[in-house]
Amino acid sequence: MSADDPFEAIKQTFFLECEELLTDLEASVTALTFGDGDGETINAAFRAIHSIKGGAGAFGLEDLVRFAHVFETFMDELRSGRKACDDTAIRAMLHASDVLADHVSFARGLIPSMDEERSATVANDLRALMNGAGPAPLPAAAPEPSAPAGTTDEIEAAFGFKPVMFNLDALPEDAAMVPEGWTISFKPHVRLYETGNEPALLLRELARLGPCTVTLHAEALAPFADLHETAAGLSWTIELDAPVEKTAIQEIFEFVEDECDLVIAPKGGALDTPDVGDVDIAALLAAATAPASDPVVPAAADVDIQALLAAAQAPLVPPIQSAGEAPTTAPQTPTKAPAATAAAAPATSAGTQASIRVDLDRIDKLINVVGELVIQQAMLAQSVAECGLTASSTVKVGLEDLEQLSREIQDSVMAIRAQPVKSVFQRMPRLVREVAEMTGKQVRLVTEGEATEVDKTVVDRLAEPITHMIRNAIDHGLEDSEGRAAAGKPKEGTIRLAALHRSGRIVIEVSDDGRGINRERVRKIAIDRGLIAADANLTNEETDNLIFLPGFSTADTVSDISGRGVGMDVVRRSIQQLGGRISIASTPGKGSVFTMSLPLTLAVLDGMVVRAGGQTLLSPLPSIIESFTPREGDLHRIGARDWVIRFRDRFLPLIDTAKVLGFSPPDRGEINGKDGIAIVVENEGGSQVALWVDDIQGQRQVVIKSLETNYRKVEGISAATILGDGRVALILDIDALVVLGRQQANHADFKIAS
Amino acid sequence: MPAASALNVLIVDDQQSMRILVKTCLNQIGVKDIREAADGEAGLRELITKPAHLVISDFNMPKIDGLAFLRAIRAHPPVANTAFIMLTGRADADLVQRAVQFGVNNFLVKPFTTAQLKAKLESVFGKLT
Repeated sequence: MSADDPFEAIKQTFFLECEELLTDLEASVTALTFGDGDGETINAAFRAIHSIKGGAGAFGLEDLVRFAHVFETFMDELRSGRKACDDTAIRAMLHASDVLADHVSFARGLIPSMDEERSATVANDLRALMNGAGPAPLPAAAPEPSAPAGTTDEIEAAFGFKPVMFNLDALPEDAAMVPEGWTISFKPHVRLYETGNEPALLLRELARLGPCTVTLHAEALAPFADLHETAAGLSWTIELDAPVEKTAIQEIFEFVEDECDLVIAPKGGALDTPDVGDVDIAALLAAATAPASDPVVPAAADVDIQALLAAAQAPLVPPIQSAGEAPTTAPQTPTKAPAATAAAAPATSAGTQASIRVDLDRIDKLINVVGELVIQQAMLAQSVAECGLTASSTVKVGLEDLEQLSREIQDSVMAIRAQPVKSVFQRMPRLVREVAEMTGKQVRLVTEGEATEVDKTVVDRLAEPITHMIRNAIDHGLEDSEGRAAAGKPKEGTIRLAALHRSGRIVIEVSDDGRGINRERVRKIAIDRGLIAADANLTNEETDNLIFLPGFSTADTVSDISGRGVGMDVVRRSIQQLGGRISIASTPGKGSVFTMSLPLTLAVLDGMVVRAGGQTLLSPLPSIIESFTPREGDLHRIGARDWVIRFRDRFLPLIDTAKVLGFSPPDRGEINGKDGIAIVVENEGGSQVALWVDDIQGQRQVVIKSLETNYRKVEGISAATILGDGRVALILDIDALVVLGRQQANHADFKIAS
Repeated sequence: MPAASALNVLIVDDQQSMRILVKTCLNQIGVKDIREAADGEAGLRELITKPAHLVISDFNMPKIDGLAFLRAIRAHPPVANTAFIMLTGRADADLVQRAVQFGVNNFLVKPFTTAQLKAKLESVFGKLT
């Protein structure tokens, strides 16, 4: 098939599907690894591989097809029971699914080269396993494993199949046609009037569809003396003389269908159009999946048993059984199986989730517009507040409703972007396998909370820190087999990866049952590298967290796995860039737990609105430790321009926010310690500083607007937002601000010195 | 000689890329009225709501496979008279035999070309214009 443009686009769709299919495959294989799988698990794995192969064939991805074909054939052997699903088979599946994923990535251009040798080795392993599968050979008619899928003509040639002609003339002409008109009988209930519906309006709507003959039935109307305003006595018959679809009529009555008796019948009892609602689709399908009455397959006996089992477990749903033969016990004979599987079918079909694929750009656009909506709404509220209307005025009440709705829209839109962390978590088993193989350790990965949802942008950026933490946990955390045996632990180490929601943030935990942090060694290294003073008095927790300091690496030799010059400080920085924090808790001999917490979204931010130098600014709430009004004597000047502030018996550097950002002329009066507030914040290195601001105006959730895309990068500012009164407020970049403050101080000192 | 543009086709496949692919090929052949469904259940619902001349359905689908879907169509008189082409990546004697038993009109083996698809349609409906 040529790679014309339309096909290129379809190919991209196919690759997206491959991602899902590979995830399914990984899940099936993982389940089998832990002995949680059954025949259906093998089947699901087979289907995933088969779908990948089918699509790959259509797009001419021959290497992928060739490998998938071998893998598929292997799975078919397992599925049919010709080959036992033992440990060797599962190990082969693990390797094969990794290679299959690589083939897809290569075809997609995500990885620069394909390890052909490995692919060939794994394919040969699969073939070898199949050949040793026992006496049962492949059916004679099946294509050879190495041959490409049979072409269409082969079916005709190999199986003597003859196409069955279909006579279009035999198709009823009117099958899809609508009747010439409709007879509608409409009898409102009291409830219809009570809910403020007006029959006249409905009749007028009907008349728009075509010419109507309306007959009023007032017979049921009570005599005038007994007439009650809440009683409904009128009904109508409408002859609609237009060939419209039934749904067009149903739409008109859509909101009142529960509040009236409504019969819509084709005019003159003409042919009835098919209505899905009248057909029990589940029953049809159940009957079709039941064993054939005249079994052609010798193995049909197995299917019977399964149908019986399904029937025995199926809840009995009354409407499906005919009144005469409702069985009170589980069906005993195969003949009753179809009816009972019919009862089981609705339960499964109800479990399916309808979903659509939407371009991320569209959702981003929607989020943007909703952000504007929220801002606009806040501005409107402020203007109204300034008008001095009473609290009960309709404008104010309406505005409150609008506020509520805006918030709901915002939450719903955020929910659209929310994704379970599953997509990231499911990449980890492979990583664990690879690192375990490299280190020669036995590792079992346990995941929890895969369904925990978080914003798409956050999900995408979770993979890297998690990968690093897991590598680190296996490489440094877990002991080798002998070490574990000596410590009286099971040979297999366990890495636990968990996600949970905690106070509006997502928390990811990576824990191991390894040796824990060797505090003596960490301390020694920190002292050797000048990271702490030799006589520093640190708590256990503080010692553990030293590993996050830049330039710290505890491995004696830089290993292939977690070495590469990047340490935990890189992990920490990438998490902090997402507005998150990471910490470690360790018990010597028992293991370590890395905990990272991240905001659920990067589109909105909780912040403190402050003023400095006449400007409104926003300080991100997660960085703020505390804010306080200093007492006299808390501020001290150090040198010519630097200030420190006393905070809980410590002295913190004080940064004059307005001056650092250049909001006030350099000759502005100095900080005087009276009219201002100090906000204590923590920077990415974990050290604390105080920001000096004029005052605090409150706490607010704001929509983040990029300053870089709309203007340019500004030092000390991370982004901007729009406040309720329409003012633009800049969001402080605490870390950059601290650096900026330090630079300016140095510069000033230099000027004085010269 | 039926006109391709007069054909009304329903594509059933759990893979979106496959549906688009079949649809694109059908468009090239000149078929205009094309609907899609992602599984047998949705396909049956779609078919009962509005009949089609032809169903092109994948065999390998979760829950309800192409065979059961074919059988369900044949078992429901209002839609039983619909041509059915089974799309499959893997043909074996058992599948062919059972599909024939349930009244399949033809098979289309992946990968296929637009020309092959057209030949399949013509094997079922006669020469298309």
